[in-house]
Amino acid sequence: MKIRSVLLLISFMLFQVALFSQNNITVAGTVSDSEGQPLPGANVILKGTTTGVQTDFDGNYILTNVSDNGILIFSYIGFSPKEIDINGQTTINLTLQEDTNVLDEVVVVGYGELKVKDLTSSIVTVDSEVLDLAPVGQAMQAIQGRVAGVQIVNNGGPGQSPTVRVRGIGSYSAGASGPLFVVDGAFFDDIDFLNPSDIESISILKDASASAIYGVRAANGVVLIETKSGSHNQKPQITYDGYTGYQVPQNVLAMANAEQFTTLALESGSDPDAQFILNAMQRYGRSRVNPNIPDVNTDWYDEVMRVALIQNHSMGITGGSEDATYAIGVNYFEQGGLLKMKNEYERFNLRSKIDFKVNDWLKVGGNVVLSNATRYDAENSAWRLAYFAVPILPVFDPQLADNPDVFPTNYANAQDLGYRGGQNPFPTMDFSENREEIRNVLANFYAEVDLIPEKLKFKTAYNHNFESVNRREVRLPYFIGDNFQRVDANLLKRNITISNQIWDNTLTYTESFDKHNLTALAGTSFRDEAFDLLQARGLNFPLTGEESYFINLAQTIVQEDTFDGGAREFGFSYFGRLNYNYDNRYLLYGTFRADGTNKYQEKWGYFPTIGVGWVLTGESFMENNGIFDFLKLRGSWGELGNDRVPSSEGSITSEVVTTALGDIFFSGLNTSSDFTALKWEVTEEINAGLTARLLNNNLSIEADYYVRDTKDAVIPVLRPLIPGATRQNVGEIRNTGLEIAINWDKRVSEDFSYSVGGNFTTLDNEVLGLGGAEFLDAGSAEFRQRSIVGESIFAFFGREVIGVYQNDAQIQADPVAVANDLAPGDFIYRDINGDGDITDDDRTVLGSFLPSYSFGINIGFNYKNWDFSASGTGQGGNSILNRKRGEVIFTNDTNWDRDFAINRWHGEGTTNSYPSSAGIRKGWNQRLNNFFVEDGDFFRIQNITLGYTINKDGQLKGIPQVRIYATAEKPLTLFNYNGFNPEVADGIDNQTYPIPAVYTIGVNVKI
Amino acid sequence: MKKLFKRTKATTLIAGLLIVGIGCSDKLEEPELNNNFAGGTDFTKTEDMELSIIGVYEAFQSRGWEQPLLISVRGDDVNAGGLGDQQDFAETDLFNYNKDYWMYNSLWENVYVDVITSHTAMDQIMRYQELADDAGKALGDQYIAEAKVLRAIMLFHISQVWGEVFIPTSSDTAELFDVETVPTQEEVMQHISNQMDEAIPFLLDTHPNKREDLPGGVTLYTALAIKALANQELGNYQAVADAAGQIINSNEFSLFPDFYELFKIPGKLSDESILDMQYSDFGQGEGDREAHLYAPYGPQGWTPAVDGAASGWGFYEPSMKFIKFMLDRGETVRLETSVLFTDRGIAEIQTDPNYATLPAFVSNTTRDGDIINDYARALFASGKHYLPSNQLISGRTSYGSNKNYNIIRYAEILLVYAEALTQGASASGMTADQAVNLVRQRVGMSALSGVTLDQVIDEKFAELGMEWGKRYYDMIRLGRVNELSYDGRTFTEDKSFLPYPQAQVDQFPILDK
Repeated sequence: MKIRSVLLLISFMLFQVALFSQNNITVAGTVSDSEGQPLPGANVILKGTTTGVQTDFDGNYILTNVSDNGILIFSYIGFSPKEIDINGQTTINLTLQEDTNVLDEVVVVGYGELKVKDLTSSIVTVDSEVLDLAPVGQAMQAIQGRVAGVQIVNNGGPGQSPTVRVRGIGSYSAGASGPLFVVDGAFFDDIDFLNPSDIESISILKDASASAIYGVRAANGVVLIETKSGSHNQKPQITYDGYTGYQVPQNVLAMANAEQFTTLALESGSDPDAQFILNAMQRYGRSRVNPNIPDVNTDWYDEVMRVALIQNHSMGITGGSEDATYAIGVNYFEQGGLLKMKNEYERFNLRSKIDFKVNDWLKVGGNVVLSNATRYDAENSAWRLAYFAVPILPVFDPQLADNPDVFPTNYANAQDLGYRGGQNPFPTMDFSENREEIRNVLANFYAEVDLIPEKLKFKTAYNHNFESVNRREVRLPYFIGDNFQRVDANLLKRNITISNQIWDNTLTYTESFDKHNLTALAGTSFRDEAFDLLQARGLNFPLTGEESYFINLAQTIVQEDTFDGGAREFGFSYFGRLNYNYDNRYLLYGTFRADGTNKYQEKWGYFPTIGVGWVLTGESFMENNGIFDFLKLRGSWGELGNDRVPSSEGSITSEVVTTALGDIFFSGLNTSSDFTALKWEVTEEINAGLTARLLNNNLSIEADYYVRDTKDAVIPVLRPLIPGATRQNVGEIRNTGLEIAINWDKRVSEDFSYSVGGNFTTLDNEVLGLGGAEFLDAGSAEFRQRSIVGESIFAFFGREVIGVYQNDAQIQADPVAVANDLAPGDFIYRDINGDGDITDDDRTVLGSFLPSYSFGINIGFNYKNWDFSASGTGQGGNSILNRKRGEVIFTNDTNWDRDFAINRWHGEGTTNSYPSSAGIRKGWNQRLNNFFVEDGDFFRIQNITLGYTINKDGQLKGIPQVRIYATAEKPLTLFNYNGFNPEVADGIDNQTYPIPAVYTIGVNVKI
Repeated sequence: MKKLFKRTKATTLIAGLLIVGIGCSDKLEEPELNNNFAGGTDFTKTEDMELSIIGVYEAFQSRGWEQPLLISVRGDDVNAGGLGDQQDFAETDLFNYNKDYWMYNSLWENVYVDVITSHTAMDQIMRYQELADDAGKALGDQYIAEAKVLRAIMLFHISQVWGEVFIPTSSDTAELFDVETVPTQEEVMQHISNQMDEAIPFLLDTHPNKREDLPGGVTLYTALAIKALANQELGNYQAVADAAGQIINSNEFSLFPDFYELFKIPGKLSDESILDMQYSDFGQGEGDREAHLYAPYGPQGWTPAVDGAASGWGFYEPSMKFIKFMLDRGETVRLETSVLFTDRGIAEIQTDPNYATLPAFVSNTTRDGDIINDYARALFASGKHYLPSNQLISGRTSYGSNKNYNIIRYAEILLVYAEALTQGASASGMTADQAVNLVRQRVGMSALSGVTLDQVIDEKFAELGMEWGKRYYDMIRLGRVNELSYDGRTFTEDKSFLPYPQAQVDQFPILDK
């Protein structure tokens, strides 16, 4: 009895002690950095709970109602976190040390995140600070030249997205070489609707082991995009960013002027061309400067181009409480086009993102992006017309103003001078309009369940992208001449609706014991992609203005142009990932994905990868080695599929055709004689790489060497005898390259820091196999491209020019020249097969459109409140077919570029590389040769930015942080090619839109 | 307790996933949308056979503008024209051939693709026949015969141009890789003649313009005409006379009284037509249109009677030799119809003192009031490819819109018949004189008696000038190469055929000899 009561008393006392020990107290203090400066916005959290606060502007915090024997965790981005036992203290001040170990940074990978130091794959992350530097409407344009191995080719029209190539070209099919874009989990081929300032980070998964988790879409690399979110316990932060500026056409191609053109015409040996000059002089008078040329000297490019405006306004609010985080944004972007017609892009975006902790095991979130864009496309044929229009033709013809038949404007007509075509680009520009309304709604919802805390997590995510693209093309009637007129007003409406859904379910398991760390992931993904197209064309609607641009009001509906299309693709996948490391020194990584699709006849594809890594600096023999702060060697192997190849029919198909019999309209069917039956293209890749940090983590080096083979590449096999080609999986293509990225970041003092970086990429593309054939022809017969086993894909194939015949003696001495009736001014070709004759057997590879190397450099520095950055990029080793010069094969009563006008052969010794004006009209000189295939090397200053920040450290109360900046984007490009710009994605320069230089000033305000 | 709850939750979730997974994977069998899978065609619907044969007509009638030009340009009746443009086309006219020239490859490929289309159509029709009743089978046989005839005329043109060419036997063009010797022109022409013999029993015995189902389509007489032409190339004159004679004796055909209007809207599907490529504006000024691009034949500048009518590119110029030949014969309506004159051209003719005075109809104003202005590219334009601006449907402005392109007409059959007789064949009805005089009478020329071969050939020159190079191929087969060395040209027999296009030699090494 007594013992029981003693025990009771003791337990009661203990209980009292225990109760007393669980007292809740208030803890306060200041958090500073290693220099004693207060750290505002640092997180102070009670371990094991969600209770916490952030420090204020002075680094102070107060945490009420915490258990006095709890543990507080102090953390701040860029600093190493610290845990402190409260132990009854009511004041806890501490200093946080800067975390120079950037390798603890987390990188977004497929379906999850990994620490940089655990990576065995080749992944490059670009964060929002870099994206903010470039005033561009398309996010991928901002990374041009910044990522080794990624080639960005601009398409100049406003609102047009650039061509993106990761590690070369692995597929023959047009449009099938672009990477997969994943925006918060949803799949896209094109991210033109995204506002770049909404992006938190872009991760580019370059090698197979990184991207294989996306299996069938991943063969051309994967670009993961995360949009900005708020953070917990963050005061609402309001950011406004706006810039405005103008775009100036760059490197405008100089065309021959009236005098040069007249000289060329007279030298051409063609009487009609000389006659046309006389006709122009008769019609427009003789020039006062030179009485032998007409009094007209039109610089067509100058006439059709203008300076265009660009402006952007973004406002965002991010913040969070204990349980929820949010990010809301609004953006307006407007970009004018360079062509003097309705040519512009306007986009309005709204987004909102919420993440919410329902309780300690359930987290949900949702994200909606609404984008509403209107794009007016230029009539790109106008660039082509401006190139070919003769300088002796004025823009307006005063004589036509008197002609009552001419309406609505008296634009000049080259046919009045005797030319075959009207040539004047203005009717095309003035009486055409192409409008595209692009509306996108992207919605994403997810739920994350902690099945076993810290160990097992389940996540389900549903994404739906709904896009509607409504295109309206209006062509208004005009009359300038009998053969230069449009009789019928023409209206085309094309409505496309896209609805893509993805449902992902993943289960992640994390475990650590002893020195083993393991993360495993298993998941399924279901994809449903629907596409609908409806098109109709109407003629002769009322011309009262936009309100009458409706098919309903058209007098005639063109039956042949009514079109209804659709596609529905389903995909279903299983995937898994294993990520293991031993003591953070030995890394092992593997993924596996099984993809099923209804697109091809072979339904399922299997894509495994494996990667290993060795962190040498973790080894004892590397300790204190004095050179490397961090050194990791990594290697990987993987297989990926490419399903961007258009689906195959699987059996013969019929198409509706129409004809007239007895003046009656008949419809019939044409049945194909062959069909495609395709399976996956599979890409196999080996990657070996190195990640190093040296010199106190100031210098970082990333190097990768890869060999990427596409097997079963779908290639168009020319149909024998008849035009066209059937696609078959018989090709094999290899891309090999070396990528090096070096960055130096140094904080010299509190006031001054600078960084210098560069990346260099080589690319070697080789055709390994063509299903038994030695070569595969592509391109057109006049501009032959040939893929030869052992050479680059689609290489330009033609004759090699070794000189120009200078005089008659040279002609007589050469049997080839005599046999072909050549004259001085014609090309001398190399007799490659040595048979004494120049035939098409004397053709060779003239070059490839793929660059063999590319590089980027960037420097930046920060001094007190100033910041400056500059970047440049360049490439070399690629060739461009000057298809505009090549047009002479089909029609030769047009203008020439000034380079040819000046440098043409016009007498003995004048040149040994250009033909004469008469010569260029002869078939002998028009065969594809290296006169038409030019070097595409270029160097460009990509971006120069200078900024000044007011109230950078927040010392001034009541004033927000304001940064004012000025940017010059693409101000200078150096190249030799005779065209507007050397960025020609497929190497054939026909009518590319010039890339403008953009000069802007902007303001960024953070409240 | 909580753990148990969570575990059940987990199991339910995983189970749900599996169900979803299995349920969704059957979607993978969904077929591609918006594709008319011929494999899914309902072959029991016999009436749908017609769609396949219409497809062949469409293929036959959709000709690139360069095709008739390249087939015809080398004759002494026509020059390339288009001075300063399409240099290699002008060189082809001068017998300087360039096998890389895009026109050669385009002609070859695009005619052969139509030949293959006829094969795929025949395959489809045969599948319908398997499930059809007797009437359906018979109709199928007729359509197959029609496809053979259209195929034959296309092979005929290809072989005229290149001589030794492939004869596809099915829609699988890869079989041609196994060919060991390319068929000679004789073999091709014999094949065509045999094909016509196969087709003839199944074809309708009527004038093409009397057909109601496919107006202007192929009939028995189309096949006979092609058989006659093929045998003419072979020199089998008796077969020529028999086939042509059968056409003549049918009395289905007669010459259109007005030679001028024969080639214009009134002449569409006339009783003289045997094989036409048909085009139409369907009686409307806008909207649907089936057309051939006649612009290359049009003069480069004109003042049309009807404002807004478009002119052309100035190619295909009637030769001075042809014009002088016609003037020497005292031709009237045939010369007026075949040639459009410009003042510059007339002046050029008059520089020759023998032609100082010219008949009144030789003028730059056509009888329909279109004035042909001087243009740099050529002196004359082809009149048989000309449509007066006042015959255009109001609202249509393209040169030649709504006009048909005739390939074979009754006048040619009469002359082919007459030639066969002068070459020694025996008549099956009309005499050679009667045949030639029917043609002459129509255009106001005096009657001939006891026609010789030379007179028939001259008559063909006058009657068929500018049409499909018939003059050129006549000269080649008769070996009259001197005629082709005219106006500064030098023709040698090795230039009879064009060289194979380089793109084809690349594909078929057997063509490279």
